[in-house]
Amino acid sequence: MEGIKLMNKKITNRINVFLFLLPALVLFLVILIIPIGLSGYYSLQEWNGIGAMKFVGIENYKKVFSDSVGLGPAIRNSIILAILSTFVQLPVSLGLALLLGKGIKGERIFLSVFFMPVLISTVVIGQLWLKIYYPEQGMLSVLLSGFKIGGKSIEDGIVSWINNMNAKLPIPKPPYKNVPWLGNQYTALACCFIPILWQYVGYHMLLLYAGVKSVPPELREAAKIDGATDGQINKYIVIPQIKPIIKICVIFAVTGSLKSFDLIYVLVAKPKVADVPSTVMYNEMFSANNYGTGSAIAVMLIVLCFVFAMIISAIFKKED
Amino acid sequence: MKMKKFASVLLAGAMVATMAGCTSDDTTTTTTTDTNTNTTTTTTDTNTTTTDGEKTNLTMWCIATESDSNRHSYEAAIADVTAAHPEINFTWEAFENESYKTKIKAAVAADEMPDIFFTWSCAFLGDFVDAGRVYCLDDAYAKVKDELPESMMGNSTYNGKHYGVPLTMNIVGLFANMDLLKSVGYDDIPGTYEDFIACCDALKAADIIPFGCAGKETWCVTEYLESVIEKSVGYEALNDIFLARASWANDDVAAAVDTFQSLVVNGYFDPNGDGLSNDEIKANFMAGKYAFYMNGTWNCADFAANEEFFPKVKVGEFPVINADKATLGQLIGGPSDTLAVAASSPNAAVAADFTFELGRLICKYGYLDGCGLPAWAVNYDDSEVNGLTKTVAAITAKANGYVLFGDTAMAADDADAYLKEVAMVYGCEVDGKTFVEDLAAAIR
Repeated sequence: MEGIKLMNKKITNRINVFLFLLPALVLFLVILIIPIGLSGYYSLQEWNGIGAMKFVGIENYKKVFSDSVGLGPAIRNSIILAILSTFVQLPVSLGLALLLGKGIKGERIFLSVFFMPVLISTVVIGQLWLKIYYPEQGMLSVLLSGFKIGGKSIEDGIVSWINNMNAKLPIPKPPYKNVPWLGNQYTALACCFIPILWQYVGYHMLLLYAGVKSVPPELREAAKIDGATDGQINKYIVIPQIKPIIKICVIFAVTGSLKSFDLIYVLVAKPKVADVPSTVMYNEMFSANNYGTGSAIAVMLIVLCFVFAMIISAIFKKED
Repeated sequence: MKMKKFASVLLAGAMVATMAGCTSDDTTTTTTTDTNTNTTTTTTDTNTTTTDGEKTNLTMWCIATESDSNRHSYEAAIADVTAAHPEINFTWEAFENESYKTKIKAAVAADEMPDIFFTWSCAFLGDFVDAGRVYCLDDAYAKVKDELPESMMGNSTYNGKHYGVPLTMNIVGLFANMDLLKSVGYDDIPGTYEDFIACCDALKAADIIPFGCAGKETWCVTEYLESVIEKSVGYEALNDIFLARASWANDDVAAAVDTFQSLVVNGYFDPNGDGLSNDEIKANFMAGKYAFYMNGTWNCADFAANEEFFPKVKVGEFPVINADKATLGQLIGGPSDTLAVAASSPNAAVAADFTFELGRLICKYGYLDGCGLPAWAVNYDDSEVNGLTKTVAAITAKANGYVLFGDTAMAADDADAYLKEVAMVYGCEVDGKTFVEDLAAAIR
């Protein structure tokens, strides 16, 4: 009798667990799994988004790497962004988090200021940076033309470099007098990456700051009593303690780089000079009406993000 | 435990009900963000058409946002037509141009279109017609045939059936800042290509940039390129290529592309334009930075509205480059802005008549505002139309051939390939020969 009661209780518990998980499961299926499955299905079709579909097998996957679609250079650009995010953005975020986590004067204000770009709409940030990058009268041009090295302004140096590169084109382009920062292939990519890196420094900083704050103060105090400097405390106590958060930040930074879209789209409109996989996907789907090819890129993006997340996890596991 | 079970069932039920509610298509609340003006408007409408007593509900989507130069013509036309039809309950929403292209395609794919929708003619509307999503307007058109010439219906006619109501029509105009031209000794826009080039050289020598063009928006480059090709090979040859009746593999077109590229290489274009949008280029032109600006004649309204700039600006036609094949009067443009009716509309016949009436009024107010030329017959006083638009009307009155804007005339994937090649020509990455070879291979 007692055994049956116990079994009934177990079954009831399992039903309860299932029912509690059901809403999340339904959402997960409807919002994530089914769309991914549909993207996989569309990626095997030739479809303009409206008319009848035609099964083409893996043709779309072959097509995405052709010159006409150009996913290869777009992935290369994303990987550059991922590297910059990991080795420039995250160290800056970590530095700020360690500094603020130590408990400096005005900690809350600095925290809010650094986090503010994350809260601002990307379109607004894009408009702001468009003004900064405006050729001739933009803030960047004015600033760089004011700094001189060897009698030549930094902007003039960049203009000369771009003109030299353009002179090597099959049909030499007329020389620039100012740098059209977002309109040429040599500077557009970097100009898109700078605001992306700037915007999300605060995001990673906040995650890492939370980690830094969770390190027991006794550990710091004990290290201080033993004569450790701030640098040594950070290196040997704080950073090892927040490794799981650093891992999450690296995964976010890398997958975020692979998925980046909005700011690049706002800054360079038709982003031929700074293509990333998402802009190529958008163009294929909504400009060229090639939903099959666009879906193939979407599937590849999902796979890439998954693979990178696994690799990062494996690296951190090995380190542990 | 029972309470826990009850709570979990309740939560799960609420979640499922919420999700089921999301899929309901009876009533939707739509939020539109107009990125041009950074304003957000929220409207609630019924996405399906219902008959409410004696009133018939009709909905419309268009691109006449607050910042759009056509906004006033839409508002005025809608005020008139709704006043004349109290039996119709009319709701409309405007969306930003680029996002609208995506929105309407998604709506067509899901067969959840409004009763009336704005569209571009030729290939854009053609895809929707092919999918059977657009209501045939032949019966409604028969009632207004006297006011709307058949020639204006051509771009929205498929297999002999009419599917669109044209609004205004526009062409590519060569706008000139006459103050700058006068400063180098020209009292008028040069009439021959040789004079035109001599004028550009004189401007360049005087440190004035001849052309402004937004390299960031490839369609702006096509305004120049297509004019050069048309005035080199003739409108029939270009039309055949755009409408896929002839191959891009054409030596004359390759030579014309080289002619265009020589304008770039000779430094007639503002190099800073590579990184600027069309709005910025237009502002620079109005500020006196460039002597010429080739763009759609819809700009007449904005130029006329600027009291300081209006007296300086003149509009003309791009000169003929090869007189053996092209003549003056061969123009880029035509009626493209169109209203169409969804085949799924329960009141499609009513919507069709309403659309023609609305289209006629939008055309009227658009023309009076200077936003374009009338696709419909002008049977009202147009003496107040601005001088620039009147000049454009005079140019079109002498027109002997039109080629619709390439990216509108071609199917989406062809247009995409075309725009990519145009960007490469402007960026000096490929020459005319490679341009035609690449397009001949990409567009079959």
